[in-house]
Amino acid sequence: MGRRRDARLGLKQGNAVTALVEGIFQALVAGLLIGAIYGIMCVGLGLIFGVMRVINFAQGDFMMLGMYAAFYCFTAFGVGAVFGTTWGPFVSILAAGPILALVGYVVHRLLISRVSGTRTASLEGEGHHAQLVLTLGIALVLQNGGLMAFGSVLASIRTPLSSSAWELGPFLDMSVFVNKARGIDALMAVAIMAGLALLISRSRLGKQLRAAADNSVAATYMGIDVDRAHRIAFALGTGITAIAGGLLATNYPFHPFVGVDYVIVMYAGVVLGGMGSIVGAFWGGMTIGLVQQMSTLILPTQLQNAAIFVVFLLIVFFRPQGFFGRNVERT
Amino acid sequence: MLTIDALSAGYSAVPVLKGVSIRVQAGQFVAIVGPNGAGKTTLFKSISGIVTPSAGSITFEGADLLALPPSRRPHLGIAHVPEGRQVFPSLSVMENLEMGAVTEAGRRDWRANIERIFEWLPVLAERRDQLAGTLSGGQQQMLAIGRGLASSPKLLMLDEPSMGLSPAIADFIFERLIDIRKQSGLTILLVEQRVAEALESADHGYVLEAGRVVLEGNNQSLRADDRVRQAYLGM
Repeated sequence: MGRRRDARLGLKQGNAVTALVEGIFQALVAGLLIGAIYGIMCVGLGLIFGVMRVINFAQGDFMMLGMYAAFYCFTAFGVGAVFGTTWGPFVSILAAGPILALVGYVVHRLLISRVSGTRTASLEGEGHHAQLVLTLGIALVLQNGGLMAFGSVLASIRTPLSSSAWELGPFLDMSVFVNKARGIDALMAVAIMAGLALLISRSRLGKQLRAAADNSVAATYMGIDVDRAHRIAFALGTGITAIAGGLLATNYPFHPFVGVDYVIVMYAGVVLGGMGSIVGAFWGGMTIGLVQQMSTLILPTQLQNAAIFVVFLLIVFFRPQGFFGRNVERT
Repeated sequence: MLTIDALSAGYSAVPVLKGVSIRVQAGQFVAIVGPNGAGKTTLFKSISGIVTPSAGSITFEGADLLALPPSRRPHLGIAHVPEGRQVFPSLSVMENLEMGAVTEAGRRDWRANIERIFEWLPVLAERRDQLAGTLSGGQQQMLAIGRGLASSPKLLMLDEPSMGLSPAIADFIFERLIDIRKQSGLTILLVEQRVAEALESADHGYVLEAGRVVLEGNNQSLRADDRVRQAYLGM
């Protein structure tokens, strides 16, 4: 009698442990998947804030525009009709990149260039105050303009893949489920990151961007058009964040004010990764994704963002320059 | 080749240059000497377009430099090796040299140039993959010179290449410059506080004091001038 009860108890405990480990793995995978998207979202800002040192509070709202651009490409501009409901969303999301890059290019040329780059290089604070006010203004215009244009109804870019999953496993009686849409989102994010890292580290353009970021005056002495380099970086950063927005929109509904929720996460990711480091910004975003998902194991979901910032403060306390911060002095 | 005529420039209301006229002919080595604050660096920055002059003109091979945006000027064949070296710290030595070769001529002659630069400044070849920010001051100065040479310049402008370096390393860099000039026939405009060395190696010199050219002449006449001997050469 006694022995049989013990055995049953043992089995129950075994189940509990399995469930716990399974839960941890499930959260880990969810964190990696969302982290990849946060990663490129932060990389977009990293190009603008970390590398070119332009404060841009409208980055979240450019991302919101990216979400709507992908949404309308899919629903209104025929991408859905051509590529079908399964793959159409992903094609639309990729299309949102160049569209928002163009928007970023124009906004930089008309507005941002007046308070950044060589024009303010010799000013105290490098024009940061003006950038702060200008980009907050752009953010307000985009949010309220978005409200007028798109309305306040929650929108989302759904694909049938959003509601199906791959099962990894079972290993040792445990299996982890990967939402198909999120899996593809993460793969796309990683591919974009790899492409961008190659562009920045190997291409002539990438090297010129880095040189302009290192020392804009010396870059001018070399014959590099620093303002053009900044414009390209701004466009690139806006486009990549827009794609990140589209990828998020396959799983999270959005509205015209959604940018505010993400812009703080972006800054945290860039600082966490280390100012000036593109790869660092990606890992910063990844860290935030992981912390957010892992925290759900022990904390109520309302405290997800609090957990992010506690971890952020801890990391910055012990490593103020971030993961990949430059040890080399900027001149 | 380079003609600066009655140039005045300064920083918001503080005039630094007051009617400076300087001429550099093709193949010449011209040195501009003078004490701290005489306006030597401001002169260079005006040529490169970082400072906008308030009056006067600068022409390079007949082209009006002041009408061109700063980033176009290097493409005409002007290489500026700036004060304090200003290499790109997070780029490797090789990438720094590539940035020198952004100009059309630099791109065209890249292979030949890089071979010669490594021959003249072998330490750059040894450290080609090292980040420029981790080089010593002397190595950074050599990189800054190499970066300037990589643009295939017609005119090489050097702003105080000896600044902040030990006398031995400064001497070495001067020797290298004289070698490079001998072998390449490059036109050089040098700004320097080490007056003796500068005047010794240059064909022609200008003495700049408080924003004005107070003296000019060829190598011998300047070094024989009593004022130069007293004020700068300590004789």
